[in-house]
Amino acid sequence: MSVNAWIVVGDQPTVGNLIAVARSLGGPVGAVVAGPRSVAETVAASGVDQVLWCSAPADVPAEANAPAVADAVAADPPRVVLAGRNPGERVLLGAAAARLKAAVLTGARSVTVDGDGVVVVNAVFGDIAEQTVAVSGPVALLLDGGPIPSAGGTGVPIEEVCVPPLGVTVTETRMHGFDQADLSSARRVIGVGRGLKAREDLTMIEELARALEAEIACSRPVAEGLNWMGKDRYIGSSGARIAPRLYLAIGISGQLQHMVGLTGAETIVAINTDPNAAVFSQADYGLVGDLYQLVPAITAALK
Amino acid sequence: MRIVVAYKWTCDPEEATVGADGTVDWSRAKPGLSAYDPVAIELARQFADATGAELIGVTVGGKGVGTPIAAKAALGRGLDRVVIVEDASLAGAGPSELAAVLAEVIRQIGDVDLVLTGDSSVDVAAKMVPTVLAGTLGWPAVAEVTSISGQAGELRVERAIPGGVQVLKVRGPAVLAAAADAAVPRIPGMKDLLAAAKKPAEHAELAALTVPARAAVMTVTGWSRPERKARKGQLIDASDPAQAAGELITALRQADAL
Amino acid sequence: MDFELTDEQQLIRDAVREFAEAEVAPIAAEIDRNHRFPHELLPRLAEMNLMGMPYPEKLGGAGADYLSYVIAVEELSRACASTGVILSAHASLATWPIYKFGTEAQQERYVPDMASGRRLGAFALTEPAAGTDAGAGTATATRHADGYVLNGSKMFITNAPYAEVYIVFAKTDPDRGARGMSAFILEKDTPGFSVGEAEHKLGIRGSSTPPIYFTDCHIPGEALLGEEGEGFKIAMQTLDGGRIGIAAQALGIAQAALDAAVSYAKERVQFGKPIASLQAIQWMIADMATEVDAARLLVYRAASCVDNGRPYSTEGAMAKLFASETATRVAGKAIQIHGGYGYTESYPVERNYRDAKITEIYEGTSEVQRMVISRSALR
Repeated sequence: MSVNAWIVVGDQPTVGNLIAVARSLGGPVGAVVAGPRSVAETVAASGVDQVLWCSAPADVPAEANAPAVADAVAADPPRVVLAGRNPGERVLLGAAAARLKAAVLTGARSVTVDGDGVVVVNAVFGDIAEQTVAVSGPVALLLDGGPIPSAGGTGVPIEEVCVPPLGVTVTETRMHGFDQADLSSARRVIGVGRGLKAREDLTMIEELARALEAEIACSRPVAEGLNWMGKDRYIGSSGARIAPRLYLAIGISGQLQHMVGLTGAETIVAINTDPNAAVFSQADYGLVGDLYQLVPAITAALK
Repeated sequence: MRIVVAYKWTCDPEEATVGADGTVDWSRAKPGLSAYDPVAIELARQFADATGAELIGVTVGGKGVGTPIAAKAALGRGLDRVVIVEDASLAGAGPSELAAVLAEVIRQIGDVDLVLTGDSSVDVAAKMVPTVLAGTLGWPAVAEVTSISGQAGELRVERAIPGGVQVLKVRGPAVLAAAADAAVPRIPGMKDLLAAAKKPAEHAELAALTVPARAAVMTVTGWSRPERKARKGQLIDASDPAQAAGELITALRQADAL
Repeated sequence: MDFELTDEQQLIRDAVREFAEAEVAPIAAEIDRNHRFPHELLPRLAEMNLMGMPYPEKLGGAGADYLSYVIAVEELSRACASTGVILSAHASLATWPIYKFGTEAQQERYVPDMASGRRLGAFALTEPAAGTDAGAGTATATRHADGYVLNGSKMFITNAPYAEVYIVFAKTDPDRGARGMSAFILEKDTPGFSVGEAEHKLGIRGSSTPPIYFTDCHIPGEALLGEEGEGFKIAMQTLDGGRIGIAAQALGIAQAALDAAVSYAKERVQFGKPIASLQAIQWMIADMATEVDAARLLVYRAASCVDNGRPYSTEGAMAKLFASETATRVAGKAIQIHGGYGYTESYPVERNYRDAKITEIYEGTSEVQRMVISRSALR
């Protein structure tokens, strides 16, 4: 069987969207898994046609299996190689792309077959524009992941591949104790920016989040510079992209870097003291005022 | 030890304007060091100072990436020297092509123990150049790196994972992508900037490098504006917070957003 | 005639702007509100090699050209006018006379520490009864066995009491008027030297400008700067250069006010559209932009004269006169464009307006500049 699309999987099996895109291109879909065997088993039951699993010792991170992934993909060169937007998967995809000397596109909005190649509508430059790109030859695509389907039945056999990994081992893992975020599935999200003056003020935001049944996220300065919450809560061009029903931007100025993560939000509300803030032209409802008065007022009104 | 930082000289999309037909106008944008590259240079500089390593900057791209001011801007941030490949054919090149050229330059420099890149470029933000580069060189790649120590051939690398930090032992030369907050880049002092003109800036000709051709050809056949949800832009008078809160909730309920 | 900045000048401008936005702008409103001298900035200014930019590297400076220094003062002042004058008074008024008129021993003793920013300097010429008429100063320096004894007082001394090195002007021969004035280098902890209460000012409130007093203050003979009787000449030549620094400060203030007005005009909506779409506002902005650009050209031209070894007295006077009056005018119009909001502390333009006025007064009033310019024009 000659695979038309390879899906590269790392530690997490959240490749549902990738499988759907691969299927839409027609032809057999294969998956190369460079994570724990349990991930390979989940993928094998998801409806793909072939699963290769690169086995490695437990202390070897997914990235180190790059040569195995590249070998597997090169042995059966596809039209497309797909991976999700995670640090580990990007390394694996990069290795595959290097071996295939493939083109690389990371903003694909749609992929369609065109003769021997594909046509990709690719969002570029912080999503300010879209290119239509005709690619002749192998192409590597980074796409948003998604929950993996379960196709039922016994699934396909897992073919174990043993290629020595690169010399990377995990010697220590330290968790920071911030609550893990689940922004991608949250229907309501509250984003906080630099308008929030002190870490203690997050208590006020948490109260609103409880009243609104919302998750809390933030802009880059809060996640990185101030380190008030885990980096997985950062929304923006190099962070998470979400599409909730409701997003409250509190004390956020509205820079491109942050707002690009919210283009899918259905309704955006902005609160900021600065009437000049760019966020107001990108919101459905805007309140020019002091968040320290408005946030408690909204919390009270919800109860 | 020899450390290379691959940096990008390019424009920020915040300064670009997009026409109704989707074409991007960069004429009012001024190029500069890509936003996260100074973080990578700072992280590399600190590690180079700790180990006595030589720190070399490498950049490849289209016309303009090798102007004197571009070289000085990079050198002023703490590099010992820079190697530049400036070729019109590389304008708008994708991550795969750029990585292939970078790999050749790094091979030519020789004896490179570590390559650092920024988290992502300010304009393309693909996060794929370091990974394709590593794949081309056959080296390990790690992203979200927050700390580097150790010595040539055996590095101790800390990287961010969801919920925490992992410490890795990395053997052999490697490509590391610095997390966006891995270091606070020093603002170049006046002496650093004035000394930059005296540091070596070498231009390597693309034609003299043997870069394997890509197996895929990309042709841009059209441009469009992404469909943006039209935002209402409705302002609610917030002079009375309690009243404003009530108005907001009513409006959200009416719009079925709540 | 090349109107473009060199690569180094552009990079310097960008770096100082980055520094000013990251570390100076965030404290500008607070130091103004609290009349607080920004101690924490001095080591950072020193680390950035800003404190002695135009002085040679072997004397602790950065070896930059004068135009680069002027650009640095402009960029700092754009973020905070107080910080701009703290630097300018130190580098142009206090360090320069030692560099230019000092003996080798004096240069070695003071310039490296000052140019590197380890020691802050001040310039003490003005007295309660001698401002524009500087030659009428009554502070005396009486000859003594081991040197001189200073008596008298000075007013509005920028950087006192934090400065460690003071250039003090006093009469060694009171009967000879201005020709009897001499210059001295005074160190901070000299007995008989004291500093008075801080002055509360309309603007540049982060700059400390108290009176200073000399009461039988003994200084050594080596403290004499230049020759006896040369003091007035030293003061005037120092001010010739210093006024280019103040012109740069005024330029920075004007640019800040213009930027704020442009930003506000684009966002403020009245009658259904941004006020930037109204011709009245557009014409105000056009005039402001033209005046600021003209000021910039005069300031940079004066700095270029310094760099090219050409006379710069008249050019400096023109730059200071025009840039300072432009700053006041542009800041006033910026408040007008902001409307009621511009009159409150929520917006920075009211501070720009208060900061601008002093640039028309110190280091030679606009009237003095007009005297200098007309003397040259009427030759």
